[in-house]
Amino acid sequence: MYKYNQMLKLSAAIILTMSLIACSNDSVNTDSKEVKKQTHELTTKKTPTTIENYKNITVAQGEFNLGKIATEEEISGWHIEVSHGHNLPTGSGTAADGEELYDEKCASCHGSFGEGVGRNPVLAGGEGTLEDTLKPERTVGSYWPYASTLIDYTHRAMPFPSAQSLSWDETWSLSAYVLYLNDIIEDEEFVFSAESYHEIKMPNEEGFIFKDKKADTNNTRCMTNCKDPSTITVKTALLGYGSGAEDVVEETAIEKGHEIGQKIYDATCRLCHGNGLAGAPKVDDTLTWEKRLEQGIGKVYKHAIDGFQGQYGVMPPKGGNMELTDEEVNAAVDYMLKDIK
Amino acid sequence: MSDEKSIIDKLAINQLISDKPKSSTEISRRKFLGKAAAVSTVVASGSVAANNLPPNVPAWQKTLGKPVNSNPYGQPSKYEADVKRLRVPWLTPDSIASISFTPLAEIKGMISPNGLAFERDHGGLPTIDPKQHRLMIHGLVDKPIILTMEDIERFPTVSRIHFIECPANSAMEWKGPQVGRLQFTHGMTNCCEWTGVPLKYILAEVGIKPEGKWLLAEGADSAAMSRSIPMEKALDDTLVVFGQNGEALRPEQGYPLRLLTPGWEGNTSIKWLRRLEVTAEPSYQREETSKYTDLIAPRDESRKDLVGKAYMFSWIMEAKAIITFPCPEKPLKDHGKYVINGLAWTGTGKIKHVDVSLDGGVTWKEAELNGLVLDKCWTRFSLPFEWNGEEILMQSRATGEDGYVQPTIEQLREARGVSSIYHNNSIHTWKVSKKGEVESVQV
Repeated sequence: MYKYNQMLKLSAAIILTMSLIACSNDSVNTDSKEVKKQTHELTTKKTPTTIENYKNITVAQGEFNLGKIATEEEISGWHIEVSHGHNLPTGSGTAADGEELYDEKCASCHGSFGEGVGRNPVLAGGEGTLEDTLKPERTVGSYWPYASTLIDYTHRAMPFPSAQSLSWDETWSLSAYVLYLNDIIEDEEFVFSAESYHEIKMPNEEGFIFKDKKADTNNTRCMTNCKDPSTITVKTALLGYGSGAEDVVEETAIEKGHEIGQKIYDATCRLCHGNGLAGAPKVDDTLTWEKRLEQGIGKVYKHAIDGFQGQYGVMPPKGGNMELTDEEVNAAVDYMLKDIK
Repeated sequence: MSDEKSIIDKLAINQLISDKPKSSTEISRRKFLGKAAAVSTVVASGSVAANNLPPNVPAWQKTLGKPVNSNPYGQPSKYEADVKRLRVPWLTPDSIASISFTPLAEIKGMISPNGLAFERDHGGLPTIDPKQHRLMIHGLVDKPIILTMEDIERFPTVSRIHFIECPANSAMEWKGPQVGRLQFTHGMTNCCEWTGVPLKYILAEVGIKPEGKWLLAEGADSAAMSRSIPMEKALDDTLVVFGQNGEALRPEQGYPLRLLTPGWEGNTSIKWLRRLEVTAEPSYQREETSKYTDLIAPRDESRKDLVGKAYMFSWIMEAKAIITFPCPEKPLKDHGKYVINGLAWTGTGKIKHVDVSLDGGVTWKEAELNGLVLDKCWTRFSLPFEWNGEEILMQSRATGEDGYVQPTIEQLREARGVSSIYHNNSIHTWKVSKKGEVESVQV
């Protein structure tokens, strides 16, 4: 996997060909007929270079001087990635800390044991299945090469409806818990942090090959008698297009009431209303819902369709899924309130 | 018979006079039932004939049209309402981290119109105020900077036409044919004219330290979508793009700013680009480890030790050609002469040849390449043929200028097994029935 780097290191310098006219479909005006291809060593700052063919404006390479200098403070807020062995964040956490958080923020999609709900990603299990040619299971434990990716992604993009909301302590704790679900961290009190990061080795770290530019198939451009016609067998649709299509929101009619409501709820609403994220009342929070219903079901429908800024949180219009019709949103509301109304 | 005809006429007329677009539910149901849709089209076009064909003067010629600029941002004709992107709802767990497919059967030319270009969003579609959007470039640089959109547009710009293809295009077909429409088998691709700044100019501005060999590119969406890009590609043909087909990028394509890595896996062209960090090593992001890697199970004895291993950084989208007419959405009707049309592209350069087979790959004929043949760009091809009602197994096969020939699905399975997800660029087969219907099959 380091092959690429090695190749680059062999290059004495990165040579940049500043040839605006080299590309056939460029839209840049090339007024000057005497355009010289400029070469420039990128790593050397402020080597004077002219881009003569750009509207006769002479500028020095690297001296457009556009933008402003990024301050350390500005960078710190955006510099979020966690790489294997680099930029490991401060803070720490244990699997024991992570369990409660996981149940609250993750389990509704990923399942209590990381088994995945619906088609949401499976986080745990699958150990030793990668060589199963028909049903390999690619989970954090069985497939991911580095724990840094788990830490990075948990903080970067999870929980799905509220990215970058977890503190680094919470991120370490949840990452430790997901590794615990995979038996990679065995002691639930193990303190996961920048100091202990390198004690964790992912089982599939060595499982990746850098795919270089060489193709792995070698078809030839045969034109006649390319195969024996009698060997041709025609394989038609595995399951037809219908594979699961009956289950889809777009296919179902509103008359099916709660059945469609449930599907919409699962696809769009459950993320927040299943576990109370972003200030959303949980679906089983009877007291809160009863209070809202006092304003009339019409108002609840309206807020679900148009969105609503509440005291505790924000309801995005149609739960953020603008593909839904008003009727479909109402069906989801009906489903959510079926035991309360 | 006459009763039947008048009922059909009424249905068709009702359909034509109805200004109201069909509900999305109705349309999607029709789309799924390809054959039904095809039949209803025939009925409609057959019966319009009555009043508007010669010798009658068409109704729309006998009255004035709408005032100029009635629709300040132009829209397609209402008769094109069915031409749109579609989702495969069961493909993704929700409609936010999901994908929409380009209706390839309806594309007229080598450009995907902005409203029809497929999109893959990993954390939904953000609504970004360009005045508050910033591109930060930092890391192993001499001078970390923050650029506004106005700053970026002051750099020298270029316009180039390139395809983008999601590496998951045709991913559902590894084990066998599954999604019976061209839009779903091959629609995770688009091709636009992109306008922006060569990334090398911006990198020259900040000064790359000698140990800076990689870039981390990151989006401003909820997924903070991120990929590691090697410096070699960044300094080659990578662009920082703000224009798409002559207007600002569409939100679905990364408004106001995206990266464009021509010919590479679609998601390396990070949308809503907010940050570029120069690094010494790849950052091993989720979308280049857990996803967008290719688990392989070679069948060849000499490569058996690779079973269970996975390719990482398989960036290049290899050559692919697909017949867009006929296809399941566009069957043949009467016997007689037709022109087979299609699109081909390769991430390694220009398309050199496209060959078409009508007998499942026994014999091939070279198709003509139509219009422009550009680097890493959709290329049109066509081949005239005559259909007399026989069954056909129709295939197309692209060859790149590098000599690489598009593989069969069996060759891909030999190399990688059936449980890979990405990079299925196999030769595709349409089976044309004696009735002219087209079915997606494998041979």
